[in-house]
Amino acid sequence: MRRATAGIERLIRAARRRGERFLSEHDSKRVLAAYGVPVTREVLVRTSAEAAAAARRIRYPVALKASLPGEAHKTERGLVALGLGGERALRAALGTLRARAGPVFRGEFLVQEMVRGSRELALGMVRDPQFGPCVMVGLGGIFAEILQDAVFRVAPLSRGDAREMLGALRGRRILEPVRGLPAVDRGALGRSLVAVGRIGLDHPDIAAIDVNPLIVRGATPVAVDALVVLSPAPAA
Amino acid sequence: MRTGAAHPLDAFFAPRSVVVVGASSTPGKPGNVVVRNILANGFQGDLHLVNPRADRIEGIQARATLDELPDGIDQAIVTLPAAQTPATVRALGARGIRAVVLAASGFAEVDQIGAALQADLGRAIREAGVRVIGPNTTGHVSTPAGFTSSFFPLGRVPRGSVSYIAQTGNFCGISLRHITSAEPFGVARSVGLGNKVDVDESDVLDYLGDDPETRSIFLYLESIARPREFLRIARRVSRVKPVILLKGGASDAGAAAALAHTGALAGDGRVVDGALAQAGVTRIRRYSSLFHVARALDAVGLPRGNRVSFLSPSGAFTVCLTDLCRAVGLEVPALEPRTLARLQALAPSFIRMRNPVDIFGSVGLHGYERAYGDALDAVLADRRVDATVVILMLTSETGMPSFDFLVDCARRHPAKPVLVTFMGEHRHNLAAKAWLETRGVPCYMQVEEPFEVLAVLARCRARVRAPAPAREG
Repeated sequence: MRRATAGIERLIRAARRRGERFLSEHDSKRVLAAYGVPVTREVLVRTSAEAAAAARRIRYPVALKASLPGEAHKTERGLVALGLGGERALRAALGTLRARAGPVFRGEFLVQEMVRGSRELALGMVRDPQFGPCVMVGLGGIFAEILQDAVFRVAPLSRGDAREMLGALRGRRILEPVRGLPAVDRGALGRSLVAVGRIGLDHPDIAAIDVNPLIVRGATPVAVDALVVLSPAPAA
Repeated sequence: MRTGAAHPLDAFFAPRSVVVVGASSTPGKPGNVVVRNILANGFQGDLHLVNPRADRIEGIQARATLDELPDGIDQAIVTLPAAQTPATVRALGARGIRAVVLAASGFAEVDQIGAALQADLGRAIREAGVRVIGPNTTGHVSTPAGFTSSFFPLGRVPRGSVSYIAQTGNFCGISLRHITSAEPFGVARSVGLGNKVDVDESDVLDYLGDDPETRSIFLYLESIARPREFLRIARRVSRVKPVILLKGGASDAGAAAALAHTGALAGDGRVVDGALAQAGVTRIRRYSSLFHVARALDAVGLPRGNRVSFLSPSGAFTVCLTDLCRAVGLEVPALEPRTLARLQALAPSFIRMRNPVDIFGSVGLHGYERAYGDALDAVLADRRVDATVVILMLTSETGMPSFDFLVDCARRHPAKPVLVTFMGEHRHNLAAKAWLETRGVPCYMQVEEPFEVLAVLARCRARVRAPAPAREG
């Protein structure tokens, strides 16, 4: 984990040098992946040719997202194109997104696999002034803000804590076999919760992490969007 | 008194010798009330008094200065004004006194001058190497030692198995007066933390966790001084005995964290909820629960689970209180066939007996004692039932029957709490409550209360590993 930690510290320093309070989606997922949280396969590209090559490797259909630091509502701003079935659609979407992206855009796009799954969860970490790093799990996607069904525990989490958190969700039945879907792999989900708490403990510069949605593909939750928020820069 | 190694707080809870610094012969002054309290509680250790005029106070000769005291005093209670406390703490430390209770107010709770004084006090405490309860507190109570440092007139505090940790002087003051005058239970230890300049809730919780006199711990907190340490200790203690908390105020995530969705959710008290649940702390939401739940826990053990039966003289109660059970997380299970057969044998044939038990018809056929007594024994013997509530119906026509049957029945089933409540004529209810509670059966004047209490006990049970034995007798 030491090498992973060093890599994360480099990402944080680079963002700080640019004066940014957020890591990009791609960098946020690199942080998560370094701790074993399953994330989407994705490639950061600048040109149409690079995008097309990436999409062929990932396999269509793909998602295309304009890469902006800390853009929490890319969908609302029309900076996401989902389910692109081929190269023609991909190139068209790239042009549209570039036009919409605005002045802070540095010309980078994410080409990302489409994760199919009808169950969306959210997980996160927040540095509480009293209790230190705390881990959150809840219902995700568009339901996250409407239902506010979320449970917190203080890091470090034991496996038992993670299991117990899932049982404390009002909507916990979504983790069970429903409508022909298999039960969610609670072991895998629990490991992701433990991991997010560990990131908080290892990296005091990270103030909060949002993973939303965490889409359940088959039985396994995959981080589809992620945001790492940095704590205010220490006074020079 | 304690098993194992000495605890840093032993000198507070089991002192062999105590000095009151600022003792007074003037009735009503804190320096006088504290002396009277100590005498009223039958403290068996040595009691020394310091007063600059070396008066005789409550029959004890005071000394003019600390220098005149003998060596080896365990604890000092200081009732001097705030400005004198830092120097007094240093002087006490120099005399080898390691445990100090500071009553004075006028510190950080007031203004900036007070805050500066509190900072000075903090330095004095560290330099003198003493432990301090307070300042700005009424003090503490330790009934096994027949001791209190409170300057609120208390009289003799009855000994019991319940302990309180409170971020208010209330539990060595007015709330304790409520307990000693209105409640059937006594306390083991009670601490008013005051400004928590040194000893905090984590220290006391750690002490009470291993305290054989304490069977359940109640906390009233507005802030947690060392949150992660508190969680660590609570996690350990809550496996051994109930840790029940009323917490005022909520935690807020920082501004940076609020930039994320997770941080926004965290601002809603959810972090405190989660942290305390993780540590096995059972939260209550009402101040009166600090008494109601203690009333049960001092008399009965924890039930094995959340399944209740209740005896009701009215169909309306069976309906409304079943609804309440669902709302507070209690189950009202179907009874075993042999239990139903016993109940049906008592009842008129037109009533179909089930849980909850409508007892009205049986009382008409067999009289109060047999109807209630046999039905109570039947539901307590039922393996699907963890605890029982008896709703008594007393009027001038029924009078107050002998409740020996109820006490005997509860004692035959010590693993299953029996709680009593009333509907009917108030003066008979009060008489029955007084009679039953002196015999170890907790009673509640409002019909919802025993159910709310059992719900809290069931939540404690989900955490506490070893079954807590019911008190003897």
